[in-house]
Amino acid sequence: MTRFATWAKLGPFVPLVAVLLVGAVLNAQGAFFEWQTHRAVLREVAVGGILACGMTVVIVSGGIDLAVGSLLGFSAVSFAWLTLAHGWPGLFAIPAVLALGALLGALSGALVAWPRLQPFIVTLAMMVFARGLAKELSGGQKISTYVHLPDGRFESVPLPRVFQALDGRVLGDNVSVVTLVFLASALVTWFILERLRIGRYLFAVGDHFEAARLSGVPVRATLLFAYLLSGIFAGLAGICQAAQETHGDPETGMGYELDAIAMVVLGGTSLSGGRGGVHLTVIGALTLGYLQKVLSLNAYSTELRLMLTGVILVLAAVFQRRFGRLDL
Amino acid sequence: MTATGDAPRLALVDVSKAFGSTRALDGVSLDVHAGEVHVVAGENGAGKSTLIRVIAGALGDFSGELRLDGRAVRFASPAAAVAQGIATIHQELSLVPALSIADNFALAEPGHPFSLRARRASRERAARALHRLALALEPDVVVERLSVAERQLVEIARALAAPVRVLVMDEPTSALAEPDSVRLMTLVERLKQDGIGIVYISHRLDEIFRLADRVSVLRDGRRVFTRAARELTRDELVSAMVGRAASSAKVAQKAPFGAVRLRARSLTAAPPQALGPLAFELRAGETLGVAGVEGSGASTLLHALFGDARGVHAELELDGAAYAPDGARTAFARGVALLASDRRDSVLSALSVLHNATLSSLRAWSPAGLLRDGDERRAVAPESTRIKLKSPSLDAPAGALSGGNQQKTALLRCLLARPRLLLLDDPTRGIDVAARADVHDLLREVARGGTSILFRSTDLGELMALSDRVLVLARGRYVATIAPSELDEARLLSLMMGGTA
Repeated sequence: MTRFATWAKLGPFVPLVAVLLVGAVLNAQGAFFEWQTHRAVLREVAVGGILACGMTVVIVSGGIDLAVGSLLGFSAVSFAWLTLAHGWPGLFAIPAVLALGALLGALSGALVAWPRLQPFIVTLAMMVFARGLAKELSGGQKISTYVHLPDGRFESVPLPRVFQALDGRVLGDNVSVVTLVFLASALVTWFILERLRIGRYLFAVGDHFEAARLSGVPVRATLLFAYLLSGIFAGLAGICQAAQETHGDPETGMGYELDAIAMVVLGGTSLSGGRGGVHLTVIGALTLGYLQKVLSLNAYSTELRLMLTGVILVLAAVFQRRFGRLDL
Repeated sequence: MTATGDAPRLALVDVSKAFGSTRALDGVSLDVHAGEVHVVAGENGAGKSTLIRVIAGALGDFSGELRLDGRAVRFASPAAAVAQGIATIHQELSLVPALSIADNFALAEPGHPFSLRARRASRERAARALHRLALALEPDVVVERLSVAERQLVEIARALAAPVRVLVMDEPTSALAEPDSVRLMTLVERLKQDGIGIVYISHRLDEIFRLADRVSVLRDGRRVFTRAARELTRDELVSAMVGRAASSAKVAQKAPFGAVRLRARSLTAAPPQALGPLAFELRAGETLGVAGVEGSGASTLLHALFGDARGVHAELELDGAAYAPDGARTAFARGVALLASDRRDSVLSALSVLHNATLSSLRAWSPAGLLRDGDERRAVAPESTRIKLKSPSLDAPAGALSGGNQQKTALLRCLLARPRLLLLDDPTRGIDVAARADVHDLLREVARGGTSILFRSTDLGELMALSDRVLVLARGRYVATIAPSELDEARLLSLMMGGTA
């Protein structure tokens, strides 16, 4: 029992360790041992990882949120629209974008919680809706520092400091700011899931809605909260994305919801709800990020990279099922 | 439709079956002839379901012999039994709700999974079978639009679409209201005339005496007797099932109870789970048992008091104040806890024992929304020892525990919410004898502490052991309230089954 439990705890690390080992063996003429490489991985997984934090909460509650990629796009556009086109300072623009994300997330949550519509359908609809909203707000164009004025002229505005700050690096140029945003998101999510009452309710609702309801859990408010939180994280990811791209692109974030789901599932959080945790999602995000990096460092073609990623996702899922079952 | 010689259609000879140390069937012999209804009666756990599984081919490894028209047979699977003309109607219906009646018929027909579906043929077969049973239903109707009674009848029609020699029916009227039961019994009488041998499991006295040619009583896995129905009296049947002649009350009146905890007036629930009107009172520290078989409304009563049933109208008072629960949350807030009968609705299997135990009282462990793991643990650990909850650790997922320990976990969850009124729906269903005794001890202790308990049970022993008074319901209607001095198993059983005392 105890030996098995120990192994089960190590299970989620196995795919990550395997990928790191392969990276170390192939090592691309030593490039794998450069800190730059790791810094890049940590930066590249950040935006997807932030989405995956919200996705973890939703999946633990027994649902799925397909709208996060579109919400990211809408948030990136909103952020650029507020800061670049309307000159809002970051201090106001950031809370405003997070609030918009929360609002759209809450809308999905309300539809899941009260009419008890299926999360897949609700968030699929929100995915389409939010993408439309992003295109409407931006007029289908990227919102960049080259601003289209109402009188038809164009004007170039300087890139606001908030963009540079978010796209920068700190700690002696060693860590990207977005990486820290990702880690902070993971910590907040961990705190919510493990240390707050609502976190316990999220696990209970995801495990079995009916039993949770009969136990006196506020099931509907809990579901609403899960999607609201996911919306906030999508807003945060959108802000980071805009900062990195230095513009708000209405097309950005397409398919990111699938990356986020892959990170959650690769870590070992159960898609059927009620089990898992955000620490697993961090491991899943790193596994996926390092996999991409190792393949690209060693000059595998994009085609081959995609195919290998698919194969490795399946292998990891098989492994999880066989050895890594949490607790059971 | 003639059997070979005088051999019975179906005979069980000296059939035994043990599950672990429990002898579910112990040397049981019985038979059913063509055109005969043989009723098998017995309390819960008497061995009826094991008997059905033996006949239906769902249990391969029993000792003894099964003879069909005089030939010894042994079925490798339920499908083999069906192929030999043995149709079984289980209590749980097996129709697929999303498909039409005709498609459900097609499902039951043998055939290659990729063969072209002969829609018209199965439609006609369904129409013929429905017509044969005089059911005015169109084969194209989707099953989920049928009432429970209609589904039951369609299920029978489907079973009879193939040639049938023996029909086994397991409490087919348990979910049916009066008019539908009558319709079903009329149907059984017609099938009997067609020369089918019918094994009919029932709890209900009226039904037994209307339908049966012969009656066998099972108790603790043994056959008590087989008698011709017309030579049998109700009292004889009931005392054979209970195991002693009219044992009388043994529960002494406890110390006087406290003030009135719950007062219910004109409590009614709308169909399909019709209930009432009921009026009763429950005092602090008192335990009221609700006796009633499946479909009696007893379970609806508990859910109504928890604010979790539809179409309920009632005037309720809890400790003198109006009480109008609209869901589990308001019920818990007022100190009313419910333990659901289905363990899937009372235990969160992926959550740990600790997290299950504190779920209903989580506000107390998380002031300002912050969980205090240490407090939870310190509170639950001694309680779990006290109720003899056996678990590898408090962090083990509840789903990994045995049924009895899962039930204790759910009960602990209810108790940590410090209920004034505890509603228990069949609290020891499907758990072993030792766990059952632990649960009984615990409930007595809880009642001594002043908590009022209202529980439903289908088990006479349990009703006798725990109740201060027993409320008897049958088909949603009030039958009787039995005071402790009048508690008597035989009378109780006959009331539960809708007979007269």
